[in-house]
Amino acid sequence: MLRLGRHDFGDDDALMMAIVNRTPDSFFDKGATWAEDAAFERVRLVASQGAEIVDIGGIKAAPGAEIDAAEEKARVVDFVARVREEFPALVISVDTWRAEVGDAVCAAGADLINDAWGGADPELVDVAAAHGAAIVCTHTGGVTPRTRPYRIEYDDVVRAAIDDTLGYAQRALDAGVAKDSIVIDPAHDFGKNTFHSLEITRRLGEMVATGWPVLVSLSNKDFVGETLDLPVGERLLGTLAATTVCAMAGARIYRVHQVPETRQTVDMARTIAGRRLPARAIRGLQ
Amino acid sequence: MTRVALVPGCLALLPEYASLEDPVHDLRAACLAAVAWLGEDVRVVAGAQGARVATALLAEVGTAPVDSGEAAYLIVGNGSARRSEKAPGHLDPRAAGFDDVLGKALATPDPEALGALDLQLADELWADVGPIVEAAELLRGVTTVAVDYEDDPYGVRYWVARWADR
Repeated sequence: MLRLGRHDFGDDDALMMAIVNRTPDSFFDKGATWAEDAAFERVRLVASQGAEIVDIGGIKAAPGAEIDAAEEKARVVDFVARVREEFPALVISVDTWRAEVGDAVCAAGADLINDAWGGADPELVDVAAAHGAAIVCTHTGGVTPRTRPYRIEYDDVVRAAIDDTLGYAQRALDAGVAKDSIVIDPAHDFGKNTFHSLEITRRLGEMVATGWPVLVSLSNKDFVGETLDLPVGERLLGTLAATTVCAMAGARIYRVHQVPETRQTVDMARTIAGRRLPARAIRGLQ
Repeated sequence: MTRVALVPGCLALLPEYASLEDPVHDLRAACLAAVAWLGEDVRVVAGAQGARVATALLAEVGTAPVDSGEAAYLIVGNGSARRSEKAPGHLDPRAAGFDDVLGKALATPDPEALGALDLQLADELWADVGPIVEAAELLRGVTTVAVDYEDDPYGVRYWVARWADR
């Protein structure tokens, strides 16, 4: 079982985590959902598209204007409460590395803390435990939040990702986060060059084999763009190809911009892999 | 008391071909009810694939085929698979007439008519009637309890029927 705050899922479920940015400057949507009502429309849309999770973020991942905790909270806390009120069936995730922000959003109704920065704030696990929230443990190679990788190398990037995310998971367990509320994420592009992200994708099965549920965040990222020499906005097909590989390997949660496209891709791949039944098969079986 | 039932050899009834949404939901329900009605000791009259369908249905109701002793009978057979342009065998205009005759003979039941089915024509129409012809004599002296299902949702004529003597 996978328990994300108020919501339980089976071990065979694949979940869509739709990105909802309350930012003016995120790389893909470039502020399209910066206004609260626009962000709320985005929640409404992805809910109608069947996303199980919304991942609300108040700070873009890339370097940029300093956003302190107070400003981050101003962007996300009331918004979380509003989503909680109107969409009780949605899992609410908040993309933050700060314990202070995590505490406030969990009090407002968040179910899951998506720490994209690998446990940079050591108190975040305590916040998750105190609220009965789930947590995503990512691998960033130890970089400082909102920095780009620069000449980072690994003896074995997959080994490093497994060791770091499992170490983080153990810290979460020790802090009192429930075992079935911990998710690991190799974090494509975070602390990684394109070759690293490609290798993580190719060998994702090794992370799945740890037994922890694996989240992948592939959507329109630079490793797709560099692989295909395509700008943001033209990376959907590459994203979906990478998604297929991860779904074949057994990834459980997909953090995405495009929900229906990813759902179809994941359903197809998981069915090929024998983890899901066809929707309705009668051809040749009449 | 003799009990006899007929189900089609539809492979979508097999658990290894399950879908998220059952494309033969109504057919399956009728088959399982008929098979359950037969009781625990059931002999199967079927070809190789049909026997797999029969065994799977019997397993669903918690039993397995027997090959001796007093038993009910489960026949696995069906009409033409050439009933429409979308049918597995495409449209053969003779299919409807053939199935009408077969359907009436099953509903009556009429062992003579069933025993005299044209196997050459059945073959051309992709109709799996061999077990029905083979079991025709079982239907002598029984009456029809019900034709529970009679439809061709995918271009193949299915019947689920039950017969019993007094």
